[in-house]
Amino acid sequence: MAPRQSLAERSAISALGVIAPPPIHVTTPTFDGSLAMLFQCVRDHKVHLLDVPLYPICESYFLYLINLDDANLDEAAAALSALAYLLERKAWLLLPVEDPEPDMIEEMMELPSPTAYEYEVAIESLRIWHEERAQIFFRSPESGPDTYELPVNLENVSTGDLAKALEKLLRRAKPEAVKPLNKPRKSLSDQMRIVLHTLTDEWQSLEQLVQEPYTRSEAVYWFLALLELIRLGQAAAQIEGEDVVFARASRKPNEAEAKS
Amino acid sequence: MSLADQIEALLFVADEPANARTLATALQVTEGQVEQALEVLDRRLEEKGSLRLVQLAGGYQLGTKPEYANIIAAFLKPQRQKLSKSLMEVLAIVAYNQPLTMAEIEQVRGVQSDYSVRALVERRLIQDVGRKPVPGRPVLYGTTQEFLHQFKLYDLKDLPPIDPNREEISTSLFDEH
Repeated sequence: MAPRQSLAERSAISALGVIAPPPIHVTTPTFDGSLAMLFQCVRDHKVHLLDVPLYPICESYFLYLINLDDANLDEAAAALSALAYLLERKAWLLLPVEDPEPDMIEEMMELPSPTAYEYEVAIESLRIWHEERAQIFFRSPESGPDTYELPVNLENVSTGDLAKALEKLLRRAKPEAVKPLNKPRKSLSDQMRIVLHTLTDEWQSLEQLVQEPYTRSEAVYWFLALLELIRLGQAAAQIEGEDVVFARASRKPNEAEAKS
Repeated sequence: MSLADQIEALLFVADEPANARTLATALQVTEGQVEQALEVLDRRLEEKGSLRLVQLAGGYQLGTKPEYANIIAAFLKPQRQKLSKSLMEVLAIVAYNQPLTMAEIEQVRGVQSDYSVRALVERRLIQDVGRKPVPGRPVLYGTTQEFLHQFKLYDLKDLPPIDPNREEISTSLFDEH
């Protein structure tokens, strides 16, 4: 068995740490030379591997193996690893790869300009303008009387406030899942029990109460149950900042309300 | 009853900025006449009273003068929430580069920005303005009329320039070497 050092000296391809393959001669329509030379040329991009048929090279390798008089496993292994490298490279090259659209490449290469740091001056100006603007008050879009009257007195919470709270909840709703037909629908009283169980003595917004993910119909159903509980005096609402917040009502419903 | 008085009445009942064309149509006069009357109204309101003519979000609106801010705030108790630094940064990126996708915002900032984008959408300062025609069709974001209103901008041309000294600094640095 030839020592590794002497093999490496014959035609070293040390960059990969591969022992140089033995001088297997390869003759193909596009390349004529040793396997070591082909390996080197492919690595240096001097030969395009797609133009080189690997079948005759594999045949040459098997021929070499058959005719190997004294079994030199190091040499055979070196040749095999070189061949395996070429086969793998070619296999990857043959895989269909979708070319990205030219516009997309340009967009991907394009660096954003300016970067976030360079907005600082503009941000400071905008911040000052925002503060100045906060000193001016305008007629509020909601300043008119509410179209609908609430059946219960919620002090400063208007129907508009409740509608805004629902809108905010609906904006976070996930698309409706496809449901099988004739699925039994949850009753409003079941939903009310769930809502009542979720409500605490602590004031919470709708987004805090309804756990994500939920669909639009679940959000509406949740809201309807909450409204019903407010009507029955089992839930309470108040304004906190820009939000309507809800909590379990401390007062007990009267008998008439409970029966209805 | 002068045209300025009529415009004042319309602006008093309007709950959003009205532009010259809308006012002209309502009053059946020309836009030029409306603009002249707006100047008269502006001068008159500046001279006396608690209101002023404010030009913002593509129109005109009656607003209170800043010197009355404290008493109004004490009366209305408004909950004005300041915009955090990250919200301001995302808002500025959207304002100057709109329309753009979440990925593009994150590319400029270098950090995840979905929370800020969602918060700005909830505050109605930015909105979904369409889809980008690339794979995945991501949502494009742009600023809203509410953004113009809250920052007292007439339109996007009124945005402050981005770091006006940036060019000069780099030029002077090159000059030194």
